[in-house]
Amino acid sequence: MKTRLALILLVVAALALVGCGGKGAGGNAIKIGMIYNMTGSQASLDSPSANGARLAAKELNAAGGVLGRTIELVTFDGKSEAATIANSATQLTKSDKVVAMLGFSDSDMVMAAAPTAAKAGIVFVTSGATSPKLPDQVPDYLYLACFGDNVQAAAGAEYAVEALKTKTVYLLIDKGMEYTLLLGKYFKERFVEMGGTVVLEDTYQGGDKDFSAQITKVKGLKPVPDLLYIAAGPDDIGTIVKQFRDAGVKKPIMGGDGYDTPLLVQIAGAGAENVYFTTHSLMDASLGTDAVKKFIADYQAEFKAPPENAFAGLGYDTVKLIADAIKRAGSADPKAIRQALNATKDLPGVTGAITFQPGSRIPQKGVTVILVKGGAFTLAQEVVPQKVPAP
Amino acid sequence: MQMTPLDRGFTRAVLRIIPTAVLLAALGLLLAASDFLAGDYIRRIVIGIGINIVLVVSLNLSNGFTGVFSLGHVGFMAIGAYAASICTLPVALKAVNLPALPGWLSGLALPFLPATLVGGAVAMLVAFIVGLSLMRLKGAYVSVATLGFLVIVQVVLVNWDQLTRGARTFAGVPPHTTVWNAWIWAVLTVYLAWRMGRSPFGRDMRAARDNEIAARSLGISVMRSRLLAFCASAFLTGVAGSLWAHFITSFSPKSFFFTQAFAIITMLVIGGLGSVSGSVIGVALITIVSEILRNAERGLTIGALVIPPIYGASQILMAVLFVLIIVFRPQGLLGGKEIDPGLIARRIFPPTRRRDGPPDHGKDAA
Repeated sequence: MKTRLALILLVVAALALVGCGGKGAGGNAIKIGMIYNMTGSQASLDSPSANGARLAAKELNAAGGVLGRTIELVTFDGKSEAATIANSATQLTKSDKVVAMLGFSDSDMVMAAAPTAAKAGIVFVTSGATSPKLPDQVPDYLYLACFGDNVQAAAGAEYAVEALKTKTVYLLIDKGMEYTLLLGKYFKERFVEMGGTVVLEDTYQGGDKDFSAQITKVKGLKPVPDLLYIAAGPDDIGTIVKQFRDAGVKKPIMGGDGYDTPLLVQIAGAGAENVYFTTHSLMDASLGTDAVKKFIADYQAEFKAPPENAFAGLGYDTVKLIADAIKRAGSADPKAIRQALNATKDLPGVTGAITFQPGSRIPQKGVTVILVKGGAFTLAQEVVPQKVPAP
Repeated sequence: MQMTPLDRGFTRAVLRIIPTAVLLAALGLLLAASDFLAGDYIRRIVIGIGINIVLVVSLNLSNGFTGVFSLGHVGFMAIGAYAASICTLPVALKAVNLPALPGWLSGLALPFLPATLVGGAVAMLVAFIVGLSLMRLKGAYVSVATLGFLVIVQVVLVNWDQLTRGARTFAGVPPHTTVWNAWIWAVLTVYLAWRMGRSPFGRDMRAARDNEIAARSLGISVMRSRLLAFCASAFLTGVAGSLWAHFITSFSPKSFFFTQAFAIITMLVIGGLGSVSGSVIGVALITIVSEILRNAERGLTIGALVIPPIYGASQILMAVLFVLIIVFRPQGLLGGKEIDPGLIARRIFPPTRRRDGPPDHGKDAA
């Protein structure tokens, strides 16, 4: 009985301690909510994004903050799981009372949090979720800091047809993610429009570990398709590429920004050669713009490692975007922030300039096509697609 | 005043209700405080505890009372959640998120209570069909079979994307769950489990659990008692699923898989199998501890001591806690015994001794 009582008292004391302990920073800080998946299937994209965001906040605060107040990023780990994310979003809006929210590199994850933010009248800016349908699914309050999947799929299709002279394509889509379903759909639309042929379309379930069924069908194709377009997420792509290559499929593989993860080369190893993908920018100190070079240097100094992928840059740009809106609004009122955000024009960023055209909450940004060569990401081409499928 | 046996019976009945009534009144006050006075954060924890009580007590009904250790009960929670959410999702959202719904569903938008009952009913129906075969198994076999059931539910949810959006997030569920309706269901569930446990039916279940052959020799229909408990428990778990879905408003099939299953089983085992009050205490304890850990995960500053964020720490610590309890106190905190409010009341206010018969003249006697 005594140990039970002691246990209960310990729990109550700990609760009180955490209740007082967690809300550290100064009373006058501007609180911005940040939800990223530090664990789970999205971690390889969201962790660098969170780092980039923290770097931006640190820089802003070192320069005196915004409107004279420090920026405080109230962070939650979404665990790549919808229920945890929804809980965190509610806590951010109701308890922490943040004035803006940012996060996520995946559209399904965003849908778990953004409706809560919208209901509380707070903008949600996603750094890396690329579904062009998102602004319609959460009207007025959901903004993208990155391009839409229709843009990157069109860029991929145009590059494949014009630079790689692709005529026939095998399409493999992960049917477990909104992102991959849309990416595959837009690619097919643009590719067929340009005169190409999809010889076979197949699907798999995200998290599958064995692709022998799909590989068998590909190897049975006569003639062999010029290109394999695989719409996959960061956790699966390494395994897929490895298995395809091990089975003797040597043709180029192409995909979207889900490939922009260190896991691709880590898992696929030599198999990652001749893989193309479209993403937001290339984190290369020798090739990039001045903004990219500075970002790489600062990131290296802060986190003792170079930025893992473009998502680090996206996280950085998103915090800068929100801070810019707050500055132009002249206040941290959520309504004013939204008005100012709508008027964002030519804001320079690591991953490109951001402008929100009237009525649109997706910026028009250029696409970087990356080729994996020699185990490293190299620049294939910067593409601005000529024609983009409707969302 | 001389009391007739009828008066005495009535008084005793009233006296028996008083401890429970006091408990309920205290609960009502606590709930009102959390709803109107405390912040939103506390309110969410209180609702969470309420929903978990429904989940764990209904699981106890199947696992603790009948000895059928179901590992796949979260499947019923999933069925209840999806069935109820599909019913309550507003028609406009249904058109956007679930465009391929059959006609009679796509125009439907039920209020909360009917939808919750539908969720529970569908779960109960599935339990009946599945239970007819599963309840014949015993021991480890039935546990693994229920795990298989959980996997089947997961696969169906992920692949039937016209109805469930597949593996993608099911968002936009209206937030109907409040402190009151979650706790009304919790109190109902506890009452049901309590009464069932104390009824002859409950004794049948326990007999079948402790010694199946002896129970059968007494004429107890083991299959019937197990199936009934399984179905009742599935109904309540389905209801809990609906409550949870309308609390969290966004979920996916992954929310109803092993992680959630073991979270519930952890609460059940820590409270103690077969003990309803144990489940309630186990739920409260684990919910509060995991909330603390979830916040601590983000990093703390206590005075001059700064603990950096350790993501994933809450899950590791919960697993360690579970292992410790299994090793050092496998019967759970309450060890299968119940906290009877009547018993406690009688310890605090011991009844004065009264011999049956004429009133006591002992003091006045010469």
